[in-house]
Amino acid sequence: MKALELNNVRFKYRDFQNWALDSVSLEVEKGEFVTILGCNGSGKSTLCLLTNGLIPHAIQGNLQGSVSVFGNNVGEQPVSQSATKVGIVFQEPESQLFCMSVEEEVAFGPENLAVPREEIKTRVEWALELVGMKGYNNRSPFSLSGGQKQRVAIAAALSMRPEMLVLDEPAYALDPVGRLGLYSVLRDLKEKHGMTVILAERDAEEALAFSDRFVLMKDGKLLESGPPRQVLRDPAKLREIGVAPPQVTEVASLLNTRMGTSKFSFLTVEEAERAILEEVLKPKKEGRR
Amino acid sequence: MGGFIDLYTEADTFLHRMDPRVKIVAVLLLSLLAFILSHLYLLLALLTFIFLLLFLARATISRTAFALKFVLRFMVLIIILWPIFDPTGTPVLASLGPIKITEPAVWRGVTSAARVGCLATVWYILMFTTSQRDLVRALVKMGVRFDFGLTLAISLRFLPTFGALIDSIKDAQRARGLELSKGGLLKRSKNYVAVLVPTIVSALRTADTLSLALQSRAYGARADRTYLRDLNMRPSDYVALAVLAAILVLPAFAKFVMQVDI
Ligand SMILES: Nc1ncnc2c1ncn2[C@@H]1O[C@H](COP(=O)(O)OP(=O)(O)OP(=O)(O)O)[C@@H](O)[C@H]1O
Ligand SMILES: [Mg+2]
Repeated sequence: MKALELNNVRFKYRDFQNWALDSVSLEVEKGEFVTILGCNGSGKSTLCLLTNGLIPHAIQGNLQGSVSVFGNNVGEQPVSQSATKVGIVFQEPESQLFCMSVEEEVAFGPENLAVPREEIKTRVEWALELVGMKGYNNRSPFSLSGGQKQRVAIAAALSMRPEMLVLDEPAYALDPVGRLGLYSVLRDLKEKHGMTVILAERDAEEALAFSDRFVLMKDGKLLESGPPRQVLRDPAKLREIGVAPPQVTEVASLLNTRMGTSKFSFLTVEEAERAILEEVLKPKKEGRR
Repeated sequence: MGGFIDLYTEADTFLHRMDPRVKIVAVLLLSLLAFILSHLYLLLALLTFIFLLLFLARATISRTAFALKFVLRFMVLIIILWPIFDPTGTPVLASLGPIKITEPAVWRGVTSAARVGCLATVWYILMFTTSQRDLVRALVKMGVRFDFGLTLAISLRFLPTFGALIDSIKDAQRARGLELSKGGLLKRSKNYVAVLVPTIVSALRTADTLSLALQSRAYGARADRTYLRDLNMRPSDYVALAVLAAILVLPAFAKFVMQVDI
């Protein structure tokens, strides 16, 4: 059973002419961390809204194809049921938190699911600890920084014990420090908790280190899907969809062109350092070209 | 911004600890009492009692005066205007053309002002000692539908957000040269449209995301929803309720059954 299965999905918002998503097929395995890359209007948010049935249940339009999550077709069950499998975090930190305290915010989902009180308490503490917001129980969400708000939003999704987390540009409104905190939470989710994660991003840099797969989108179409190393081999692909390639992979690609090879491919600064040192220290057998 | 809308101040007094449901009932009973009592000295006694509660809740005079400043102005207005519009009774203290100021009317004005003072202060105590979340929780526990409670909670929660939003839009428009405090009333209200429209658009967008967020968190999944926070009546809450009942029942009995004029 796949965590997520989009089968030839097309979607057009009501009263609009263009297909916001066009013939998109995508399969996500359990425990996979998939980053969806695309520029403004490429269809990332639309795809996120499909994963728990907000499209078509809350947002009207013309939907074709099928979307299933852990074997259930989300079009055929209410959002509140899909929500137990898929947690969503939206782009805007301000408008997805609506309670008067952090604790209530995180408890809201399990309360709706009629989870017993003691269990909710345990879950709230667990989720707040996981996102590094322990002890903020009685703070008003309004009084938190953007990064803290997003982490509370993640905790609020996690407290429903979903099997998959979908994040739509969660770092969009954050400063560098807020971003750092957020990505370290995402890394933990993958590495320590084996959570299935779908992350929509405009920037490849930060998700590079812990994505199993990059999916490139443009104008509602899925252009390419594969491990970051493979997708980044040719940085032109990223530029084509309007996403800035990470600087290390730019270096690799420049070296490849300059030296007429294709052996350089690194995703981290450490990898780059090792490969370049090796190259520099290598005894030169053949003459210069 | 938040301080203006949310009057709640954290402290550990018996009024802060009291079950919010008891406090809501208390406020309703005391308000009712303020309407039952018609003699000034009894109303002043009630006002003294309410101020004693305020003191026990550790409300400072300056904060109270700030929160109730509009009420105070309203009370002064009542005291001035009442005798002008109520010419009944004797003796007449002064007269000017059709306007007659009579002594009973002056007292009636002062009495009404005292009543308003009682009402406002007693509600202020509730807001001062009860957090918004407890207030909403109490309402739901007392039978208000959860959706209504949630709507109220969300409104309260977003007031400061929209306040901040209006401020930043004002700043943005001022930076573009919009004059918000100059010109006549008409010109000024016209200029305010430039603040209002972006605010409304932004508020609607927020509402959109909000509704998606609510649904994504399984809102409405089950009728038998649980609550993280429970309210429990302690013995002291029952005592408080009994004391309050006595405070109301005695005067009510005297007035309506024994026909004593109070
Ligand atoms: N609520 C809506 N109503 C009508 N059209 C919409 C709506 N939301 C998105 N669209 C359109 O659907 C297409 C895909 O938009 P979508 O929001 O999914 O892109 P995105 O990749 O999330 O972009 P961004 O990076 O700006 O968030 C765009 O052409 C957009 O104009
Ligand atoms: Mg988007």
